[in-house]
Amino acid sequence: MIIPVRCFTCGKVIADKYEQFKREVRQGDDPAVVLDRLGYNRYCCRRMLLSHIDIIDNFMAFATTEGVEQR
Amino acid sequence: MEITILEKTEHNIKFILEGMDVAFANALRRTMLTRLPAMAIDEVLVIENTSVMYDEMLAHRLGLVPLTTILEDYNLPDKCDCEGKGCSLCQCTLTLEKEAGDEEIMVFSRDLSSQDPKVVPASGDIPLVKLAPHQRIIIEAYARLGRGVENAKFQPVATVAYKYVPLVTVDKSKCTLCGDCVEVCPKKILRLNGNTLATQNTLDCSLCEACVEECEAGAITIDSKPDSFLFKVESTGSLPPEEIVVKSAELLKERVQVALDFANSL
Ligand SMILES: [Zn+2]
Repeated sequence: MIIPVRCFTCGKVIADKYEQFKREVRQGDDPAVVLDRLGYNRYCCRRMLLSHIDIIDNFMAFATTEGVEQR
Repeated sequence: MEITILEKTEHNIKFILEGMDVAFANALRRTMLTRLPAMAIDEVLVIENTSVMYDEMLAHRLGLVPLTTILEDYNLPDKCDCEGKGCSLCQCTLTLEKEAGDEEIMVFSRDLSSQDPKVVPASGDIPLVKLAPHQRIIIEAYARLGRGVENAKFQPVATVAYKYVPLVTVDKSKCTLCGDCVEVCPKKILRLNGNTLATQNTLDCSLCEACVEECEAGAITIDSKPDSFLFKVESTGSLPPEEIVVKSAELLKERVQVALDFANSL
């Protein structure tokens, strides 16, 4: 749904660097180089960022806010 | 026991521990992982949540956010005078209130406002949830000290690992300078330097012995230094890494003392 807070395997916090990772990869940097620069040396943490697909935006398309406005 | 610090950054520490056996090294590692307390959100009161994320999921994410910890300031709930019910000596309240305007917004861990300025998220950039226009969350979260044995979110460390200190020796009389070992080494430890085979960054050696297999002349030997360990401690940000090591050593000492006292009382 949204980037997990920590690496499933080792418990390192990964969520705080996801935006930066995504931005730099979009700018054309090699993901491997970006991950090295961010200090993710283990493959468990690397796969967390590499393989993540954000689907919260898809869910938000179905968001209902009427209930709140009525109150 | 002797400790040599090789590298120290904000969240990481690398050191060599000498004069101790594997049992002690592993006991220290496991103490750091499972016995050293750290703060984490343990109970979440969801007053309002109109976001697309379920309350449970949100609470789980909040629990995983590492909080900066001052070990002296809080009691472990089972050792507190309130007997674990939760009082100001063993609990810290954090609140989160956020509403999206006409644009969607991301709620970050920095939006959590803590009752205690010393107990705050170690990183403020952790995205918690995204709010669509006019969605709102109001949350009250209670953080407490806990140990890694109970739940991994209380671990103050992400990884603690140790390995043997590698010793790479090249027998110059046998070496034919073929360079095959230089090619095969995954950590680039070996290097041809003129007419000698030199070693570099030997601490990076993973003891895979690929070079020993490759070397037909049998000039390379890989050994490990007896009773020495190369430790790597990576903090989640809740405690500084050097404090983790020192406090764990103290905890281990206390626990050994308890075991000894028991053995002596038999
Ligand atoms: Zn990891």
